[in-house]
Amino acid sequence: MNKIVHLGLFLAIVSAVAGGALAFANQMTAPVIAENNERQEKESLLAMYPDANSNDFKLVNKTLDSKTVQKVYEYKNVYIFNMKVSGYKDGTVFLVSIDKDSKKIDKYNAISNGDTKGLGSQVTEAPFKKSLEGKDATGQLDTISGATVSSGPVVSGIHEAAKLVDQLK
Amino acid sequence: MNRFENFKAGLIKDNPVFSLFLGICSTLAITTTVNNAIGMGVSVIIVLIMSNVIISCVRKITPDEIRIPVYIVIIATLVKIIQMLIQAYAPSLNTSLGVFIPLIVVNCIILGRAEAFASKNGILDSALDGLGMGLGYTLAVLAMSFIRELISTGGIKVVNPFNEAQVWLNLHIIPENFTISIFGSSVGAFITFAVLAAAVGAYKQHVTAKEEAAAKEEK
Repeated sequence: MNKIVHLGLFLAIVSAVAGGALAFANQMTAPVIAENNERQEKESLLAMYPDANSNDFKLVNKTLDSKTVQKVYEYKNVYIFNMKVSGYKDGTVFLVSIDKDSKKIDKYNAISNGDTKGLGSQVTEAPFKKSLEGKDATGQLDTISGATVSSGPVVSGIHEAAKLVDQLK
Repeated sequence: MNRFENFKAGLIKDNPVFSLFLGICSTLAITTTVNNAIGMGVSVIIVLIMSNVIISCVRKITPDEIRIPVYIVIIATLVKIIQMLIQAYAPSLNTSLGVFIPLIVVNCIILGRAEAFASKNGILDSALDGLGMGLGYTLAVLAMSFIRELISTGGIKVVNPFNEAQVWLNLHIIPENFTISIFGSSVGAFITFAVLAAAVGAYKQHVTAKEEAAAKEEK
């Protein structure tokens, strides 16, 4: 009986010390991490609209019934959707801005993609971007042949975002 | 001298990856670029030295029955702290290494060295063992990532992990049309690993054969 108490106590102390060390490290790094994330997001928004000021993007505070839409920003007459869709390995994170009235895709910008270089990673490249911008977000959009595992979810993500535009207005 | 031998053993003779075959999962996964390999190697060295030192410190008071859980708690804490530091100060490295930073916890090299070495030896020896094994791991991932990045992208690009814009080294050796992109995927990882492990095995055999021949001559 004594032995069990001794072992339990020892493990508890070790865990408590470990917890303390983690709390300390977390306190030190959490603000830096939050700042990093925010800066990264603002940078990718600015990459889409280089003329804008980083304060021009207004975060839309509305809970949407969607698992793929992470955040929505409002900028002039477009909504910018931050989407995370499935795909090969880590899936794709991208920004797409959709016009409030015409529902045309204004800009598309892929942030990260976990697919194989040269195949699914094409969703981050210029030709795919070009094939989307200016098209009607509710209409037919082309996927990339041979890389549908990544490009398919991107296209259906855009369709989903287009449906949400009216809810946001 | 013995101390130095211990330290040197991790580099080639007892190289954790190519000789002991420990920690191969992360080795195969993160060796796509030299940059990743450096980040992972340094993280592993830090975790390995610190875990070895701490475990060596508490080796006399740790009850034998629960030593493994205690080691795991120590290692997991260290890895989590490293992960938070990387997230805060080298975010690009965090994105490219992804889940493999937290997975250092289950890297068999670390628990293996804790159990096989640090729990039986003094603090200084354990720290040296950690450094040697960590360097051995780093050497292995560097060798693999060098070959893989060179063949799959045609060049080597090393950037400052704390500031992505600062490029330290940017080499282009193979023209783009002659690169083999399969080396960037897991298949390429297995091929590279097999070739290098075979080379290290052949080298070890060669050394042993030489030693045996020398011993015979003496007789």
